[in-house]
Amino acid sequence: MNASPLVEEVDVGAQPFLEVANVTKHFPVRSGALGRLSGDQIRAVDGVSFSLKAGETLGLVGESGCGKSTLARLITGLQPVSSGHIRFKGKDIAALSRREMRPLRRAIQMVFQDPYGSLNPRRRVGSILTDPFAVHHVVAREARKKEVQALMGRVGLSSEHYNRFPSEFSGGQRQRIGIARALALRPELIICDEPVSALDVSIQAQIINLLEDLQDDFGLSFMFIAHDLSVVRHVSDRIAVMYLGKLAEIGAVEDVYTRARHPYAASLLSAVPLPQDALRSTPRERVILTGDVPTPIRPPSGCRFHPRCPKAREICAIEEPVLEQKPGDDTGHLTACHFPIEEGEMLARVSRPEPTRKTAVPLGSPEVSP
Amino acid sequence: MSERLDEFEPPDFFVGRQGPIRGLLEDAAEEGTAIVTEGRPPWRLAWARLRKDRVAMVALGFVIFLVLVAIFAPVLTALIGHGPNEQFTNTGLSLSGIPVGPGQHGFILGTDDQGRDVLSRIIYGSRISLEVGVGSTAMALVIGLIVGLLSGFYGGVFGNVLARFMDVLLSFPVLLFALAVVARFGPSLELLLIVITIFTWPYIGRLVRGQVIGLREREFVEASRALGSSDMRIMFVEIVPNLVALAVIYATLLIPVNIVLEATLSYLGLGVQPPTASWGNMIAEAQNGDLFTVAWWFLVFPCVALVLTTLAFNLFGDGLRDALDPRQGRSQIGSTQKSENKDERSREEMGAAQ
Repeated sequence: MNASPLVEEVDVGAQPFLEVANVTKHFPVRSGALGRLSGDQIRAVDGVSFSLKAGETLGLVGESGCGKSTLARLITGLQPVSSGHIRFKGKDIAALSRREMRPLRRAIQMVFQDPYGSLNPRRRVGSILTDPFAVHHVVAREARKKEVQALMGRVGLSSEHYNRFPSEFSGGQRQRIGIARALALRPELIICDEPVSALDVSIQAQIINLLEDLQDDFGLSFMFIAHDLSVVRHVSDRIAVMYLGKLAEIGAVEDVYTRARHPYAASLLSAVPLPQDALRSTPRERVILTGDVPTPIRPPSGCRFHPRCPKAREICAIEEPVLEQKPGDDTGHLTACHFPIEEGEMLARVSRPEPTRKTAVPLGSPEVSP
Repeated sequence: MSERLDEFEPPDFFVGRQGPIRGLLEDAAEEGTAIVTEGRPPWRLAWARLRKDRVAMVALGFVIFLVLVAIFAPVLTALIGHGPNEQFTNTGLSLSGIPVGPGQHGFILGTDDQGRDVLSRIIYGSRISLEVGVGSTAMALVIGLIVGLLSGFYGGVFGNVLARFMDVLLSFPVLLFALAVVARFGPSLELLLIVITIFTWPYIGRLVRGQVIGLREREFVEASRALGSSDMRIMFVEIVPNLVALAVIYATLLIPVNIVLEATLSYLGLGVQPPTASWGNMIAEAQNGDLFTVAWWFLVFPCVALVLTTLAFNLFGDGLRDALDPRQGRSQIGSTQKSENKDERSREEMGAAQ
């Protein structure tokens, strides 16, 4: 492929690669035929902060509607932030106009969830993949076809498929096209919004492997959003757990998966199926949450998780916990909880007669009323 | 293995808008990356489906025939030997002044009350019908596409104002407006074209707007935006290709509406003026007086031409819709257009039966 870098080097200095600082996104709620503002707001993302190092993969997990995808769209500049800062290599992209954002789009790209929806059904693959070059005028018109075909080869597609329509490809191949499009401008950061959740399991692995290969080859950073917790665990260096627009816990992936401190994170991660489960005679302890996720229009006071939290006490409803490092945790493992889970503490309900056993996720059974 | 797959062509009933069904081929295709189904571009699939639709193909045949007739009208009338406005007072009228019937004195479809050849006049009338039908539809299509695109893409106050404006135009009484305009500017073909265009583009505009509102939320639009595409690029590169099928279908269905509208306006004396032949004013002239009670042919044949043309365009448009967009059901506008046509047609037929 083209050897010359398409993105000019910006002096990185001591700046973090990507820094998200106290970002919020509120959507006004409209109602009625005239779309009057009702005054309510959906707090899709409500004060999220984290940072990302170059070459790192950050996994972002959480239930549907917790603001993961909105956060992704804020970082790619598809949506303007309501408040807060997103600094990419020290430059605040949240404050940029659409015009000023254009050059930065080359550095931050996105792979979309739905490989059927993200490719225009009426356009040929070659034309779709030429878009990045045409929009940014980066490759001479005559050289574009060659460049696109090289790109197709890189993601495992045959360059003979240049003139085909998306409908002629399978889901996995379409996702390869989506990845090729994101890769075309040689970005430094790729936001993957559930890139494999629409694919068959066997094909998921191929796409994950492709993404990992590309990360090694191009030194990419990833932000990887997924429902599938085992996929996130596999690809991520660090993981962030989101609940109702806020980060509940963030830390190195093994730290969080084996020693989750936030009750929500712990219950979410206890849902990960582990291969050794099949060998057990009794099922592993699972934390089953009751109730639904509250509406982000009127989130609960204090800690947003308190109405569903087995450990909730009075203060949880009053005071919002700060995302901070708890005693005994490694550096960079932050939890937003007043009463984080202690080593050996069991969270799940206690109706089982036999004593709870130690599991990969150390959760167990204090009382939770049925 | 790979050769066999490359040759595999899914039977047509497997092929929806999304193209060939997946599944069978998916695993194999993923393993060897070079294998995909031997696919065909959407328009060729549509043509394959259309070709199987016998009714639509017959209708298409008639439309092509009509276009050829209109183009070669001077040649045809020269072959017949009767100009459209020539009055054959000796051969075309009997001694008592009655038009001669079909087949007599070399008048294939007979003559009218002034001794003119009905066939020659119908042939020349087809030119007017097609000019107005196709011309006003083309203009309506361009205006409707642009306004619908802007209105749907930008939404908000701007989009809503445009949408309400289209609603206002659609609720206007067309004939009254045409009467007023003709009273002011005098009848002419150009005016007819403009009036018809003004009152038909909102059909396309509203349809396009609805479609664009759906399309602009699609992920491929977002993907294009993530690349940094401008609004213009998104509208014309991403969205318009998805509107082509719809535009073609509704243009085909709008043509007969406009042909009938032209006939109606000419019938009322607002459009094409005598002696220039148009199907509408031929019907009007035939009804003027009671000569048609004995010489039915010079009233019935223009009506037949009008009905056949309308029917052919409608049937072809239906077939086209099934072929281009098999999943899309009948839209509201399509069905109101149809019932309007039926009303117009039955009105004309009632006139013929008088």
